[in-house]
Amino acid sequence: MKKLLQKIAKKSPWLYRINAGSCNGCDVELATTACIPRYDVERLGCKYCGSPKHADIVLITGPLTARVKEKVLRLYDEIPDPKVTVAIGVCPISGGVFRDSYAITGPIDKFIPVDVNVPGCPPRPQAIIDGIVEAIKIWETRL
Amino acid sequence: MSSFLKIAIRNLLKGPSTDPYPFGETFVPKGLRGKIKYNAKACVACRMCEHVCAGGAIQIREVADKSGLEFILWHNTCAFCGLCEHYCPTKAIRLTEDYHTAHKQEDKYRYVEKGFIKYVNCAQCGTPMVPIASELLNVAYDQVNKDIEKLRHLCPKCRQERALR
Repeated sequence: MKKLLQKIAKKSPWLYRINAGSCNGCDVELATTACIPRYDVERLGCKYCGSPKHADIVLITGPLTARVKEKVLRLYDEIPDPKVTVAIGVCPISGGVFRDSYAITGPIDKFIPVDVNVPGCPPRPQAIIDGIVEAIKIWETRL
Repeated sequence: MSSFLKIAIRNLLKGPSTDPYPFGETFVPKGLRGKIKYNAKACVACRMCEHVCAGGAIQIREVADKSGLEFILWHNTCAFCGLCEHYCPTKAIRLTEDYHTAHKQEDKYRYVEKGFIKYVNCAQCGTPMVPIASELLNVAYDQVNKDIEKLRHLCPKCRQERALR
């Protein structure tokens, strides 16, 4: 029974999006990738979910500002294992243009283990799809 | 009702509007600012790119054995703003239309664009100096004649002496 579930689960990872103080640029691109039929990540079997408890692949945007740090970490802990983390945009990866600011506690891999990076300011929808494809490959090995 | 049918039939004939990207070909808009390409041969190490870089992605520094300068650009903090390309006098930096940036976490710090500018020796006194690219001469002079071509191989000090003579 468990094996069967594993086999099925591989085909449909659920996506969850965390905004760690992003400027909304990457979030708009994520919305574009998800909602506009031209890009449509649901073709890959992915689905956006509203609750962190249902998530398999976590997409993080934003440089982890001091204000949201605790909330993001709490939210991240609620996501069940195994999970795959994708950092979208340059901010969560390195801090981007906000690096060394007093308001930033990131980069995000100081606190959260990241698996895939998709740099760009913001990345193109195709680049985000690339990152999600990469994440699905990792997700299949973790199940 | 009939207008709805018209639209439905038209859309049926048009086929899917989904871009087949991960499974097929995709499009790139013209003039898209993507990953940076660096050409060490055209670079004169004026360091303007390092100065204007919004994300602090560019570094130009001397290598350990002092044989030249090293250009390093970390893609993971580049914001694709294009200031480096705009201010580069010799167009040694170009923004390509390549936006495929996704990579694994292990490669995070290896995801760089590198270039090496080897010092050349001054034709007169032998002091090591950054080679002057022909691209820069084309920017500075209308026509590059033999005299200018000679000055190109001299260090600033020798160049001054030659000019004052």
